[in-house]
Amino acid sequence: MTARKESARGRRALTILRSRPFLTVAIVAAVWIAASFASRGFGAYGHLRYLVELGAVIGLVAAGQTFVVIAGGIDLSVAAIVTVSAVSLPLLSLQADPTGLTAVLAVLALTTAIGLVNGLGVALLRVHPMIMTLAMATFLQGLLIIIAGGSAVTAENPLVRWLGNARPAGIPAGVLLWVAISVIVLTTMHATSLGARIFAMGANPLAAALSGVSVASTTLAVYGISGFCSGLAGMLVLGMNGQGYVGIGDPYLLASIAAVVLGGTSILGGLGTYAGTIPGAILLVTITALITVVNASPGWRSILFGSLILGLLLLSGREQARR
Amino acid sequence: MSTVVSSSQAGALYWPVQLRRNVGVRSLFAVVLAFLVAYGVLFPGLLTASGFAKFTQSWFPLALVAMAQAILMLTGGISLAIGALVSLGAVIAATTMIGPLGVAGGTAAVALTGVGIGAATGFIVVKLRLPAIVVTLAGSFIIGGAALLILPRPGGAIPEWLSDLLAGNTPAAFVLLVLVVLLWKLYLATPLGLSLYAAGENPVGAYRSGVPVDGARIAAYAISGLLCTGAGLFVAAQTGSGDPVIGSAFTLNSIAAAVLGGIGFLGGQGTMRGALAGSLLLSLMISVMFFLGFTPVAQYVAQGLIIIGAVAIPQFRKVQQ
Repeated sequence: MTARKESARGRRALTILRSRPFLTVAIVAAVWIAASFASRGFGAYGHLRYLVELGAVIGLVAAGQTFVVIAGGIDLSVAAIVTVSAVSLPLLSLQADPTGLTAVLAVLALTTAIGLVNGLGVALLRVHPMIMTLAMATFLQGLLIIIAGGSAVTAENPLVRWLGNARPAGIPAGVLLWVAISVIVLTTMHATSLGARIFAMGANPLAAALSGVSVASTTLAVYGISGFCSGLAGMLVLGMNGQGYVGIGDPYLLASIAAVVLGGTSILGGLGTYAGTIPGAILLVTITALITVVNASPGWRSILFGSLILGLLLLSGREQARR
Repeated sequence: MSTVVSSSQAGALYWPVQLRRNVGVRSLFAVVLAFLVAYGVLFPGLLTASGFAKFTQSWFPLALVAMAQAILMLTGGISLAIGALVSLGAVIAATTMIGPLGVAGGTAAVALTGVGIGAATGFIVVKLRLPAIVVTLAGSFIIGGAALLILPRPGGAIPEWLSDLLAGNTPAAFVLLVLVVLLWKLYLATPLGLSLYAAGENPVGAYRSGVPVDGARIAAYAISGLLCTGAGLFVAAQTGSGDPVIGSAFTLNSIAAAVLGGIGFLGGQGTMRGALAGSLLLSLMISVMFFLGFTPVAQYVAQGLIIIGAVAIPQFRKVQQ
């Protein structure tokens, strides 16, 4: 009996060791250890904390992206939504509310609504997700320039400032927010019927629909979640930056998709977990930090970033052979 | 059995088949024609030689990138690096053509870069089995970075006679487009071209029937790269200089044109004439908005709305039926 129990435990340990999230965590650990030997300041607690804080923004955007990708879609409008959040929040700062909570809720409602419009287009109008969200991004880009003009806007909102700068118990508030959102996301994904419906729809939409999954409402839900998460990320980046400007969200499109794929979620849908996206996000900021250390021109930086992502994809992002 | 079909019988089969392939895009052709007539009525200059030249010149790069995207989508792939490749083509043209390489050398450099990068992308996607969306998204950073390295800020130059030839008052753009379309027809008649649709529609079935699936897909990426850098060369000739970010808008527009033209995302569905009509429609809309005095910002907004509408309405009608 005990032998069988032990072999079961051994098998479980093997599954964990072989799982994609674990592989990504291992890569992050290896890179951190190697980098802290190579450069003295890298391994300092303050620097690692800063990296995780930066990773929180990508992690939040990628939370929504993970839902969308698992559901079999893709959201190319996340960068534009992050910008919408970061630019419209300072414009909304209401005098009547000293905590700034009203403005935060209003902006979150706005970004969720944008996500829901994406979902409506995908679910009801049957527009392909890539077209729908790219067109939405184009639309928002134009709208943002009309609203904000070319200039940067400073955030006066106290809640957002607290989010970007406060450190209760030595941990940045943004990281705490990320932890809270991660718990909610993982629970929703793996322990609720909505999560099960999302996986079923991503694996085979027709079979899911025939089994009684409402494809339309599930699609609406994932794009709504993505809009909400991008809105939160926009606030965090605004709080950390102090200023919002058009283009502030641009780096987060590739970053969110790369974090999702590096974390082992299949871009084809139906397979994956946010538990892999979390180390994926941290891996991305680590790469960016390493590239900044090299102190190269913008061209080289862009080339290095793209090549490293391609290289990491080879390690962890390969699709199964189909024949 | 094929020897039984004489050439006259094959000819008799050819046109009905081509007509049947038009079925899906017939309404699109009607819309494009209506737009063209409206455009001609609004701006009678279209019917003069120089007006026609200018119009085809504004359409030409979009037509090339629409074809580039359509080839990939027909094989079941996609590229988000189209814009970056156009920029790279433009900066290479603007830096090499005035140098010792001259126009011929510069054109060769542009073409080789396009084919090389395209083939490399295809190799990574097909042989290493990485998802095309992510590879080309990462690729757009690498290619965009290379463009920034070659020309950090707008500059360089194109020999004046070449600009005049390609983007002056000559129908050179239209002639080139006809040539490209003829070459595409020729390519479809080669073994690799024949494999293109099969590889996109049913890769497993095609592989088991002896179709060189991987080869067809890699060749599609290489051709797509060539078309993109070619479009970049033309854009550089139009503006007379190079700009490392001039191509960014082409990524969305290429996908939009291909989808407007009835190319499906799953591979093997759609025709090149559809993609060309889609790009013409998009180009007409952009020109009309420009002439009606829309600001560039309002053009963004309108373009986003029109693309969603144009893709959604036919789908919606299909659902209703």
